[in-house]
Amino acid sequence: MQTTPVQFTGVTKAYGPVKAVADLTLTLRPGETVALLGPNGAGKSTTLDLLLGLRPADTGTVSLFGTTPQQAIAQGRVGAMLQSGGLMEEVRVREIVGLACDLHPKPYPVQEVLDRAGVAQIADRMVNKLSGGQEQRVRFALATAGANDLIVLDEPTTGMDVTSRQAFWATMRAQADQGRTVLFATHYLEEADAIADRVLVLHKGRLLADGTAAEIKAKAGARRIAFDLEGAIDESALGALPFLTALKVSGRTVRMQSHDADATVHALYGLGLYPRNLEVAGLGLEQAFVAITEAEENNSQGALSA
Amino acid sequence: MKTLIALEIRRTLRNKKFMFFSVIYPSALFLMIAGTQGNAKVPGSDLTMPLFVMVAMASFGALTSVLMGNSERIAKEREKGWVRQLRLTRLPGRGYVLAKIAGSAVVTLPAIVIVFVVAAAAKGVRLDAWQWIALTAVIWAGSVVFAALGVALGYIASGDAVRPVTMIVYFGLSILGGLWMPATLYPQWLQNIAEWLPTHAYAALGQAIELGGAPHAKDVAVLAVYFLLFAGGAAWLYRKDTLKA
Repeated sequence: MQTTPVQFTGVTKAYGPVKAVADLTLTLRPGETVALLGPNGAGKSTTLDLLLGLRPADTGTVSLFGTTPQQAIAQGRVGAMLQSGGLMEEVRVREIVGLACDLHPKPYPVQEVLDRAGVAQIADRMVNKLSGGQEQRVRFALATAGANDLIVLDEPTTGMDVTSRQAFWATMRAQADQGRTVLFATHYLEEADAIADRVLVLHKGRLLADGTAAEIKAKAGARRIAFDLEGAIDESALGALPFLTALKVSGRTVRMQSHDADATVHALYGLGLYPRNLEVAGLGLEQAFVAITEAEENNSQGALSA
Repeated sequence: MKTLIALEIRRTLRNKKFMFFSVIYPSALFLMIAGTQGNAKVPGSDLTMPLFVMVAMASFGALTSVLMGNSERIAKEREKGWVRQLRLTRLPGRGYVLAKIAGSAVVTLPAIVIVFVVAAAAKGVRLDAWQWIALTAVIWAGSVVFAALGVALGYIASGDAVRPVTMIVYFGLSILGGLWMPATLYPQWLQNIAEWLPTHAYAALGQAIELGGAPHAKDVAVLAVYFLLFAGGAAWLYRKDTLKA
């Protein structure tokens, strides 16, 4: 019944010689909650700008619900919370939210929007007198002023404390449960891990990984191993251990990642070494993310392999 | 869009300091300038000095608030990303510009009226009822030209550059256009230039009414051309800005 919320086809955007987004093809399905991850400068903000029609693509097409971003916005299908989106000053929270409701083709009642975004208590405050976290919640209220089918959030919880962050995601989940498609960029990987159905990893404008958080973790190498060694450390011997995907020696501490931690640890003892404080743990999304982007970094620095 | 216009007007009204000075200082300047002159005629005109200065200062006051208010605010809101946020609504670009002009017009009207009241009370300026009304209407309406210029300046310059750029344009136009002293006092070559400036045409609208006539077609045409130029420029700059961010 619903058309594809977001479709990028071969989208490229360059600023001078720098390719912010390179040949990006991507489809978001209705009702998905999708996290967009990437280090600074990965092209997240540019991707969201292209998605919202704030910048034109150099090549390729972006379509939202089978139409242009501008039209989808005009139809009131898209709500967005920008990192760079400022607020009108010298007005009260209630007034700016009222404005957003007024401008929305399918608005909710102002009070309902205030309540849901958790800004009802500060509705009579002036916008320019808010804290960073409160401002974020007002931005969220603006993004949810009407019945959108797609909600786009750029770093939505920046500046929020832990409690309001949790409250924020509870609200967000309620939106997703109503069948909305939610796309959010974030720095907090645990948020992506806990909330997203699907994670996109962007690096240097390219899509490095696309899957569930579990799949991304698996892709990066399943487990991490850490231990201390006494005496001289033979890095090349350690590097030759089976199933190894990453190795880092700092002082006496050795950290590695492995597709098969059991086999790697077994081989480690086989070398005649006596590792102390041995730890074997599943990879968090954060480490998975670092592993994926680092691997990519090494790839592009070494010989080009297509 | 009505909500945005209402909100812009309310914001202006709330900005008491801006309101106060914008409304008061054209009258203060009027008293200072008109106070030093007797009731002599302006060279090359049938107007007396107080009459001339009254229209000049009413026009100048209107010009000040629309030009300064709009250019700085727009540059600031552009920088802060509010314009970006607005672009994620179905509000058309011209809606934003329209709301800005409406917001600034709220200040212009009292500024004009107070200059008139002060001129009538302190300098004994007397005109027919229709002249007072026509003067108010013409000066208020003419300020739209400069409101459009203010919008355009807000898009041309950003950050620290807005104020100096606006100031140069503002003083240049005010002085050369003869708002501070009659352009007839300038050397001929400068008068030739002044004649085609929007500020000169703007003041001339009011002066024609003071002399009991209708505004000259040439002045109206000059203002209309400038309005198209400024508004067109503002629209073009808005679109260019859109491409950038």
